[in-house]
Amino acid sequence: MFKSEILEPIFGIFLFGIANVALQGLPTDSGTLLYIVSLGFFVVYGLYATRIQVYFALNDIGRGLNKLRVMKDKSRKEAIDYLVGVGKAPADPTVRVDQFLDYVTIMPVDTDPQGIINKIDHVVTTNNDRVRAEVTALLSQTNPVTVSISENLLEVASALNMIHKVVRHYYLLGKKTNSYFTLIQLQMLLPMILQEADALLNAVDSFKVGQPVGDGIGPVTVSKYMIGKEKRAIAKDTVLAISEYKGRKLYVVKADGPMGYVGQPGVAIKKVIEEMGAKPSAIIMIDAALKLEGEKTGEIAEGVGAAIGGIGVEKFQIEEVATKNKIPLYAILVKQSILEAITVMRKEIAEASDKVNQVLNRLIEEKTKEGDEVLVAGIGNTLGVAQ
Amino acid sequence: MMSSVPASDKKSKLLVYTIEECLVDGQKTKRAFQVGDYITKEGGKCTKCGSPTRVTLVYAESSKASS
Repeated sequence: MFKSEILEPIFGIFLFGIANVALQGLPTDSGTLLYIVSLGFFVVYGLYATRIQVYFALNDIGRGLNKLRVMKDKSRKEAIDYLVGVGKAPADPTVRVDQFLDYVTIMPVDTDPQGIINKIDHVVTTNNDRVRAEVTALLSQTNPVTVSISENLLEVASALNMIHKVVRHYYLLGKKTNSYFTLIQLQMLLPMILQEADALLNAVDSFKVGQPVGDGIGPVTVSKYMIGKEKRAIAKDTVLAISEYKGRKLYVVKADGPMGYVGQPGVAIKKVIEEMGAKPSAIIMIDAALKLEGEKTGEIAEGVGAAIGGIGVEKFQIEEVATKNKIPLYAILVKQSILEAITVMRKEIAEASDKVNQVLNRLIEEKTKEGDEVLVAGIGNTLGVAQ
Repeated sequence: MMSSVPASDKKSKLLVYTIEECLVDGQKTKRAFQVGDYITKEGGKCTKCGSPTRVTLVYAESSKASS
């Protein structure tokens, strides 16, 4: 009857207890009763432990899924309200928004990875252009700040929609197949998923009113070098200004603010070097970086390499042009959590901008000499940060 | 139980401020954020010397820290 060698003797003792009761009548002392009940409990738990855990996991995931659904619906509603209220959408955008939320970007095949970066770049650019065109068509105005905020809000709603769908998929799959391991893995991951979803939902409040987000620390820092200088578009949503610091010529690049853009810093840096003929002695990139638990918000870290996140296209372009021209790449990073990166900039991060400027000036002085050219790029979402 | 967002994230109420800096004497003025504020935007007159100011920072701090 039992496959388990551990449970077999327990069940034997339990049977012995039952037989004892049958032969001698119900025990009168509470100690024997408790003994039989506890034996019964061990047998039931031994047989049904996995099912009991599945039951609790399903309940727990169900509650989390419900929270995700509320978050998804709220972000969708906020996006629609913004399009109608601020964007003055001429018609009800609900149907178009729902279609937008289910749009997918199909990544290129990677079985033969040669040239995949250009393919990814092509797909991503096509997607970005489509989003911009659709959002502009939905609104009755072309104010770039409103259009960019609408794009950001729809992206948040789309991300929450996708998170909800994926979690629901594994929840239902685990429930359908009664798969203990699927459900337990999902249950373990759920706190992190909810934290990320909560961060996305919180970002909506900052985006709606155009407040700078933590990720914008790079643009905040370099904008100080661009004030009063002539700015020109160097790539899509990206601007360049030429400045000067202690005898060095600075090429300063950032996304075009105060719109909520990240721009194309890779394309911009490539153009400055290859098309404008600049010969920088160093490329210095300033970006936000995810902190590890225990690290302080606003902490500054220095390093080498291309400080830029995302899908990898921009990073590849920067690394390629730097390697080809043997230009050293330096990075300045400002630590923050995912929540701080996508919600309104915290005081600790904003106040780090002065320290970042000091580090940047020191790097320029140490790594280059008078008469040299330096390329400085502030990486990140430039919402609420002009130049 | 397991699937809960950390309590500290839920409790912290953030107030957003705009910092305006005088272009002449560097005097910094802190005021509540208003929709339309952005970094590098021209601000009001300096409270000390009356010169023009510029928005240099926009940041949030918890209501507990700012009180």
